[in-house]
Parts: sequence; structure tokens; C-alpha cells
Amino acid sequence: MTIDSQQRRALLKVLGAGCGCCICGAAGARLLEYPLHATEIASKTWAVHGELSHFNLENGGNIVNVAFIEVPDGVVVIDTGPSKRYGQALLTLIEKTVPGRPVLRVYNTHHHPDHCFGNQVFDQSLIAAPQGVIDNINLDGNGFADNMYRLVGDWMRGTAPVAPGVALEAGKEEIGGRQFSLFYLSGHTSADFVVRDDTTGVVFSGDLAFLFRAPTTPHADIATWQGAINELSGLDKDLILPGHGPADKRGESLVQTSDYLAWLEDTLTGAVDSGLTMNEAMQLPIPDGFSSLSVVREEFERSVVHLYPALEDQLMPLIDVTR
Amino acid sequence: MVHSKKFLSISKLMLSAVLLACSALAQAAAPADPFGSVMWQAMVDRYFTGGDVVFDQRVKVIAPYSAENQMHVPITVDATGLENVKQIVAVADLNPIQHVLTVRPKQALSFIGFRLKLQQSSPIHVGVQTEDGTWHMGGALIDAAGGGCTAPAAAHGTSNWMQTLGETRALVRRDSKGDARMTVRMRHPMDTGLAAGIPVFYMNKMVVKDEAGGVIAELDLFEPVSENPTITLKPAVGSSASQLAVSTRDTEGNEFSFPLSVPAVTTQ
Repeated sequence: MTIDSQQRRALLKVLGAGCGCCICGAAGARLLEYPLHATEIASKTWAVHGELSHFNLENGGNIVNVAFIEVPDGVVVIDTGPSKRYGQALLTLIEKTVPGRPVLRVYNTHHHPDHCFGNQVFDQSLIAAPQGVIDNINLDGNGFADNMYRLVGDWMRGTAPVAPGVALEAGKEEIGGRQFSLFYLSGHTSADFVVRDDTTGVVFSGDLAFLFRAPTTPHADIATWQGAINELSGLDKDLILPGHGPADKRGESLVQTSDYLAWLEDTLTGAVDSGLTMNEAMQLPIPDGFSSLSVVREEFERSVVHLYPALEDQLMPLIDVTR
Repeated sequence: MVHSKKFLSISKLMLSAVLLACSALAQAAAPADPFGSVMWQAMVDRYFTGGDVVFDQRVKVIAPYSAENQMHVPITVDATGLENVKQIVAVADLNPIQHVLTVRPKQALSFIGFRLKLQQSSPIHVGVQTEDGTWHMGGALIDAAGGGCTAPAAAHGTSNWMQTLGETRALVRRDSKGDARMTVRMRHPMDTGLAAGIPVFYMNKMVVKDEAGGVIAELDLFEPVSENPTITLKPAVGSSASQLAVSTRDTEGNEFSFPLSVPAVTTQ
């Protein structure tokens, strides 16, 4: 019996596919580990920077800035990352960086999943945020979780949303011998919480400020957000850690975020007023000043979907209807 | 024995002839789908009948790669490169209800903007049928989270949605080429009947006429059109100012009608 060339090719294909699968299998079986690294941005203050990217199967949702501070009696953590697995990696990193120090307080800056889905690994009674953040996690947490499992897959294994156990109202709080100022703002979401370490002057802005990465707007109110940026600009501070992007000494993150939001609002207002469809608006050019921001085209397209309906209700005149 | 054997072979012959005819028909009707839809043949059999089916670059379907909000997925169809267009039919292959809308652009450019609900990631197919019967196809693949069609409309979270039913916002503009474009946005829950306890209730007709009563465009809308339908059309009304008359009707027989002013083309 002879094998003709067609059969041989088919056989080779099968063998080839088999080999490919072996490699795939080995890669798929690797342990998912977040390569977390602590960068000291101020005295005894470390930032854990994520990618300036979108959620994907490679980064496991690690696109966010998380931070921890060594205070006299322990550690204060700001935001907890996108998954339970991230939370565990964060705890390991904290233990490696400041061995033997207990976590005394965990702040959540807002309810978006990349910022608070590591909450699970901390004692809920230590996690604190304004009531608005707690309400938003309770409202949207499960929906976010569904979508995160879809977007980043196995990295999320075992992750479930946990709302903070402490609702904050005070303007200041002392934790482990260190005073923190607390600011109750909104605009990026309906509840954005900003923490300032009064000793180092570091402001943890959450997603009210982005640097070198396009801002996201799924729950944004642009005018309110601009007001919040204005307030942060007037704040006494030495350094800003934005929600995404490098630590910022000169307030560049506030200027960049404010400028981008102003352009976004102007552009979409013009698009709605010209009667462009959402799809046409998504194709509008992005000016040079913003074109180098990470994922700006994708975020602009998302923002069209987020912001268009409200602008249409605001800009399109009501018509008398006969019924 | 002889009889039955003969009968068997005749019926075999007939069967293979029928099968051959079917497969020949199917091949003619459905060219390979560039979007690889498992529902492609069924979409052709159900919605794109009565002429050849060809994929055509002149049917531009602009859609986002990913649905940011599966309740409102924006689609723009531009088939202005085709002449003698009879109708435009849009379907979402993997929706529980596939037919999104049909437009007959009598005195309008072959252009429409709309938004649809997606139940899951799905290919969208848009067929533009020309007078010779041919379906010119375009489409897009859209990634989405789940739940667009079986989730209740946002209106049901408010107590007064019955009062605002049919509330209309609209805008008519001239674009840089002088073409008129109208966008209407009407309050309507567009209930699919698939959300628990909420019966089907949607706006199913829209007609745009000119001052003389001539039809500019007729639209048949279906359940997958998003809540508060927002439709953009390009009426071919010449360069001077004119009036349009829009009328709509829903599945409960509610009728809404309103005039729209088209500005003249301004010379710059």
C-alpha cells in the first residue's frame, strides 16, 4: 500500500498539529503569576505599577497602580488589584518589602474591578472607603466579575467582589501613627476617594488622574470630574500617584487628564451636533497631543458609547409629537 | 421483490436528484461567509432570498470590534456606492431574534445608523438588495458580553416610562458635501418579550415623507433595535430648505408623528 502525496500532507498536518498542541499544553499549564514589583516613590512608600494597557489574558488585569506605605505600627494599602490571585501576590510582595509588619488599613479609591478585586485576601474589617464606593461595589461588583472572568480568564479563579467593611466620613484618619487626609470626590465614578499621606505629601488620586494612558469613562461625569481635578490641583502635595501611569511630581497627570477630558467633551459635542453616528464619531482623528497616550483609540471609541446618549439628550432639541 | 427493488432504486434516484438540486441551490444562494457564521446558511434561507447573494465591498458596515454596552451596539451601514437599492436588511446571526431592521430608502441615500441589542458575541450581516434582486452583502464580527436581549429595558427601572413614551428628539443637518442627514431619537422600551414578565412591545414602523407626501424612506424595525431607537438617515431632498414628515407606530398601535425642517445648503 502506498501513501500518495495528498495523504502524506494530511498525515503531516495531523502530526504537526499534534506537536503544536504539546507546546500549547505546556504553556497553558504554566502557573499564572503576577510579576509584581515594588517601586519606592517616596520615603517608605511603594507603588506597584501595572501595564498601561487593557485587560487581557496575558496581563491578568494587572493594568493598575496599587500602593503600600510603611507607617510606624504597620502597613497601609491603597487599592488591591484585579483579582484574588493579585491580592495574594501583593501580600507576598508587602511581606518581602516590609517583613513582619501587619496590614492596618486598606483603602479602595473607587469601585472599578482593577482597583478592588484583590479585597478578598484582606480582613474585611480593615478595608475602608466612602459609603458611595461600598454601594457601587455592591451594585456593580457581580457584573464586573462576570466580565472580568470573560476578559482575563483563569487569572480570576476564586475571585469574588468584597465591599469594604468600614464606611468613611471623616476628613482625616490616623492609622498606625500616621495621619491621612481623606477627600470625597466624584466624576470618574459617582464616588471617587482620594487619600493623602500628610507626612510624605503623596496624594493617591485613584482614577481621577491618569498619566500617559488614556482616561476611561464608563461611569464618568465629565464636568464633575473636571471639578475634582481642579480641587486636586489646589491641594498641598509633593507627589501624585495616579490610578494608571508613573508617579507624578509636577502635577502633569492632572493637566493631561483635564486636557484630554476637555478635548473629549468638545469633540463629542461637535459630533452629536453635526449628526454623526456613533460609528462615524469613533473614526474622528485624535490630535497629536493625545495620540501618544497608551490605548487612546480604544478608549476614545469606548467613550463615544459611554457619553453619546447623554449628549444626544442634552443637545438634540425636543420635537412636538402628535399622537 | 422485483417491484419493490425497482421502486427502491427509483426513489433512490429521485432522492439523489433532489439532494443534488438542493446542494446546487444552496451553493448558488450562499457563497462562503467571510465572518464564518454557523448561522449563515439559515440567514440566507430566511432573509436574503429572491436573488443572487454576493459579498460586496461597496456595502460598508461600520461596527466596533467589541460591544462596550451590549444593550446599545452602534452600527452604521453605508451602501451609497450602490445604485438602484431596493432594501437594506440587517440581521444579528446569533441573537435569539435575528432580524434587526429593514430599510427601503426610496428617496434617501443608502445609508443608515442605528443601535442594536446583542445577546452574545455575533456576526452581523447586512444585505443590500438592488432592483435586479441581487443581495450585496457586508458584515462585521462583534465581541460582546451576554444578556442584551433578555435583560429588561432601562425604562422599567423608572415609574413614569408610560408618560415619556414617544418623546422625541431630532436633529437635521447638512454635512460637508451638502447631503441632509436626520437623526431621530424616540423614547420607547423596545421590549423583546424575552425578559421575564415583560411582554413584547416595540416600535415596528417608521416612515419619512417629503412635503408632497412622497415616501423618502420606510423602516421596519424589530425587537433587537435598542431601547430609545436612535436612527440616522440621509434624505435626498435637494439643496433648498424643506419639510419632512415622520410617522411611527408600535406593536400596540400607538402612533407618533412629527415634522422636521431641513435647512438649505449654505454656500461658504
